[in-house]
Amino acid sequence: MRAWALLLVALAGGALVAAMLALPPVGALEAPVHEHVGRAYLERGPDATGLENIVTAVLLHFRGFDTFGEVVVIFTALAALLGLPLAGLAPGRDGARGEQAGTDDGSAETPDIPISPVVRYVVRTLSPFIALFALATLAQGHSAPGGGFQSAAVLAALFVALALTAGRRRAARLLPPTATAWVQASAPLAFVGVAAVGAATTGAFLGYPDALPALRAAMSTALEIAIAVGGAAILARLFLALEG
Amino acid sequence: MEALHLDYLAVAALFGIGLYMLVAKSNLLKKVLGLNVMQTAVFAFLVTSGMVRGGDPPIHAEATAPPYASPIPQAMVLTGIVVAVALTAVALALIVQVHADYGTIEVDELKERP
Repeated sequence: MRAWALLLVALAGGALVAAMLALPPVGALEAPVHEHVGRAYLERGPDATGLENIVTAVLLHFRGFDTFGEVVVIFTALAALLGLPLAGLAPGRDGARGEQAGTDDGSAETPDIPISPVVRYVVRTLSPFIALFALATLAQGHSAPGGGFQSAAVLAALFVALALTAGRRRAARLLPPTATAWVQASAPLAFVGVAAVGAATTGAFLGYPDALPALRAAMSTALEIAIAVGGAAILARLFLALEG
Repeated sequence: MEALHLDYLAVAALFGIGLYMLVAKSNLLKKVLGLNVMQTAVFAFLVTSGMVRGGDPPIHAEATAPPYASPIPQAMVLTGIVVAVALTAVALALIVQVHADYGTIEVDELKERP
């Protein structure tokens, strides 16, 4: 088994290296990736989308369909996870968790390995700054490195750190079950809404009204915020579900 | 030979490591980890391919100037990361389910069961 695996790895690695020999040199401006649409996006991006960050422009405008599919994929993953009859995922578990708080002797709160006070203090002290960083990442996504997805990742990481140090039950309170279903679906819903606005103003699904820069900017911003909040909520829920 | 940049060799090595984990390991969790390593190799390759030597990030700002790195691979990798997260989450959930049903996540032990 191991010999076969090594043979397979050698074959795949050899094929990869052989194919890489035919690639243009790394970092060369003549490479095909810098021609055609890549160059067009860079040249037309700021005027066509109102966004200075061309990666964000590609995500939200030029390839908005891809991003729509992307947020649906991650939402579907959560739906699939919640649909599995996992031990920790029984229906109503969110509600039951609060009720059992008294009788559950807090066993879920006492991890096998006790959390170091240093770790707990550092996480608690840093968490407002991490949250602020997530907000900054989101807010500057149109003109600097950042954006909705990055912000969602930072927020979700903050949630995981809090859940690991402060206990899952306390962290789960950040995700009230009545609100989270809508928050988790916010990214796909925002895309549908923006696409509808685009259809109404330009006649094209996910079209952006170039004649109305303010509306165009509002649509981009709404998508970014929905991706950040919705993505973070989904990632946090995935963590809670898998932690079981 | 100029094309065989060290970054590309690292990508090939990373891909090989991930593939080996995916194929040779019997533990389902390690297989998923191997899959993630392979995905990381693909992301690193795509981002590297869009790089420009001495270029700036694809952001039109006062501090940046052409040549810009290509924005398309970066946007594609962002999409890919999200898909990888979704795939990992579902795979882990299925592993949890397998463990709950059979008490093991070793493939060779699972194969011996009726």
